[in-house]
Amino acid sequence: MTTRRGFLVGLAAAGLTPRASWADAGAPAFLSAGRAADGSYNLYGLDTDGRPLFQLPIPDRGHAAAAHPERAEAVAFARRPGRFALVLNCVSGAEIARLSAPEGRHFYGHGAFDAEGRTLFTTENDYEAGQGRIGLWDASAGYRRIGEFGSGGVGPHDIRLMPDGKSLVVANGGVETHPDTGRVKLNLPVMQPNLSYLSLTGEVLEVAQMPPEHRMNSIRHLDLRADGLVAFAMQWQGETSDLRPVLGLHRRGAPPIAVTGPEAEMRAMSGYGGSVIFYDGGRRVAVSSPRGGLVQLSDVATGRITGEVAITDVCGLGVTGGALVASSGSGVFTRVGGEVASRSAIAWDNHLVAVNGG
Amino acid sequence: MKQLVALILCLVAATASADPVGRVLDSHVLPGFARLAKETASLAAAAEVGCDERDPDLRAALNGALRAWAGVSHLRFGPTEAENRAFALAFWPDSRGMTPKALAGLIAAEDPVVRDAQTFAQVSVAARGLYALEFLLYDEDPAGSDAYRCALIRAIARDSAGLAQAMAADWHDRYAALMRAPGPDSPYRSQDEAMQELFKALGTGLQITADLRLGRPMGTFDKPRPKRAEAWRAGLSLSLVIAALNSQKQLALMLAEGDAGLQERLGATFDRALASAAALDDPALAGVATPDGRVRVEALQQRVNEIRELVAQELGPELGVSAGFNALDGD
Repeated sequence: MTTRRGFLVGLAAAGLTPRASWADAGAPAFLSAGRAADGSYNLYGLDTDGRPLFQLPIPDRGHAAAAHPERAEAVAFARRPGRFALVLNCVSGAEIARLSAPEGRHFYGHGAFDAEGRTLFTTENDYEAGQGRIGLWDASAGYRRIGEFGSGGVGPHDIRLMPDGKSLVVANGGVETHPDTGRVKLNLPVMQPNLSYLSLTGEVLEVAQMPPEHRMNSIRHLDLRADGLVAFAMQWQGETSDLRPVLGLHRRGAPPIAVTGPEAEMRAMSGYGGSVIFYDGGRRVAVSSPRGGLVQLSDVATGRITGEVAITDVCGLGVTGGALVASSGSGVFTRVGGEVASRSAIAWDNHLVAVNGG
Repeated sequence: MKQLVALILCLVAATASADPVGRVLDSHVLPGFARLAKETASLAAAAEVGCDERDPDLRAALNGALRAWAGVSHLRFGPTEAENRAFALAFWPDSRGMTPKALAGLIAAEDPVVRDAQTFAQVSVAARGLYALEFLLYDEDPAGSDAYRCALIRAIARDSAGLAQAMAADWHDRYAALMRAPGPDSPYRSQDEAMQELFKALGTGLQITADLRLGRPMGTFDKPRPKRAEAWRAGLSLSLVIAALNSQKQLALMLAEGDAGLQERLGATFDRALASAAALDDPALAGVATPDGRVRVEALQQRVNEIRELVAQELGPELGVSAGFNALDGD
């Protein structure tokens, strides 16, 4: 007897995989890495209430994922400084490809597809040179490595395709690390983060930096509005008692601005922005802080903080049916400011990744 | 009389345990920075007397200052970090080789910044502080004129003494009081928060010792990096590991006060690491380049990681530090 999974895996091996769509995978709203109660690590497809639709084992702790724009394929990245990323068929569970970082490179945990899903871009560290790189993988040919270019800075983390479909925005966190010394930060005295806009062939189109007093505010995570406005979450590497924003907004051609509010509300974020997302039709923006146990809400037009919601160990943020949702390391999936949608024994990892084809 | 002494001792003990932050400040933090200020002042004085690179008194004074820094290098918050002091006093690791380049630039140009302390404070942090001085005192191929190098050595030594003095004064005159009196006017809302800051400093210090002081020269088995050891030119790498462990042991025992069992386990675990370091007989950690030597350094690193484990698993929960899946991840 042929099981469905066995049959599909057989087809995959023969190179005859049907092009399964996200609907075939149960139309997940989000992907998230997580740790199951038994301590194993998986990539999960979640419905709009955060209930797992499927789970696919991954060998180690994950971080973020990239969802193919059409096919039910997800790239699950290892937590940095990981050397692997798995491309998974989210219907059959089959491993379509395994991306291994080339010699002298490791992944940072994020990647983005181009609009047609032909090329996957991954943020990487050329750790001997201490320079960020963007790796290119051919998603139409078994995820073969087809090239790389500079990320425009040090320590690239999140990467997104801009709404024009012709450029990328990269959060160069500025922090140099080397796999020999784990996650120890090697260059704090001279670190300089930036937002780099790159063409799909690697030309640097624009580099945005915060003013000098933010030199130690590492830009890590991004979200985009349809009109190209970029929201970026930052992690302060200086003194904890320093008051620094965790969220900024940038539009190409203009200087970046910090989202601010009353001192007590800014302090409550512990200088640590986790995930960031536009919601309410792009009028508002949310940033999470697992260290502060908060989701902070702001008005985009004024750049001012308007409120906060406490959620223990929160990090992942998403929007579904117009509502802002958040996932946490304690397994809670909640409508921010509303009811808990689901609880599970799975510790949800840092990010909820929206599945556009879902 | 005996009873009175006993009574006073009890009172002192009671006051002490009611103010654990104050005890750490008085017995660990403030003396550590006072020592750093004293050792760097001696260094500046030694440079005035003799600025020849090979002067044994000057080299000994630098060793003393580096050991004093290792003893407080885990306390990287508050006055230590303010105004970039720690970056300027201790630019290490130098992952991109900026220190030799920055010094070569000053020497080649005979840059007059060395003449004035205030202007010298504007030069790149890579050319300032104790590790820049170590490079100059042990550079096997010194460039430039003797007179300029002398002026540069004196400028760096004076600047280092000034930075250490500023740290010590700021700790003593300002920040200690803020830690002792948590509340709305302090960076700490409660005594627990101040204790947690000290706990975090202990954890970070142990991580620096395991991952940087030992891990950086170890590199990988196929590619050991002996010249990435801290102060390898001065042959101080292992000695700084020992100085850091001794100081962090003192802090750990104070943070565990009130739990004699944990104190005993912490003491024993630190002592195993210190014994492993003492037995290593490899001052610059150059042994990492040989398979045998590397195994021994790795064993010491493992001992330090055992301390980290114990600190995270037992001391953390005791001080109310919880381990969130995302909150402690940092990514």
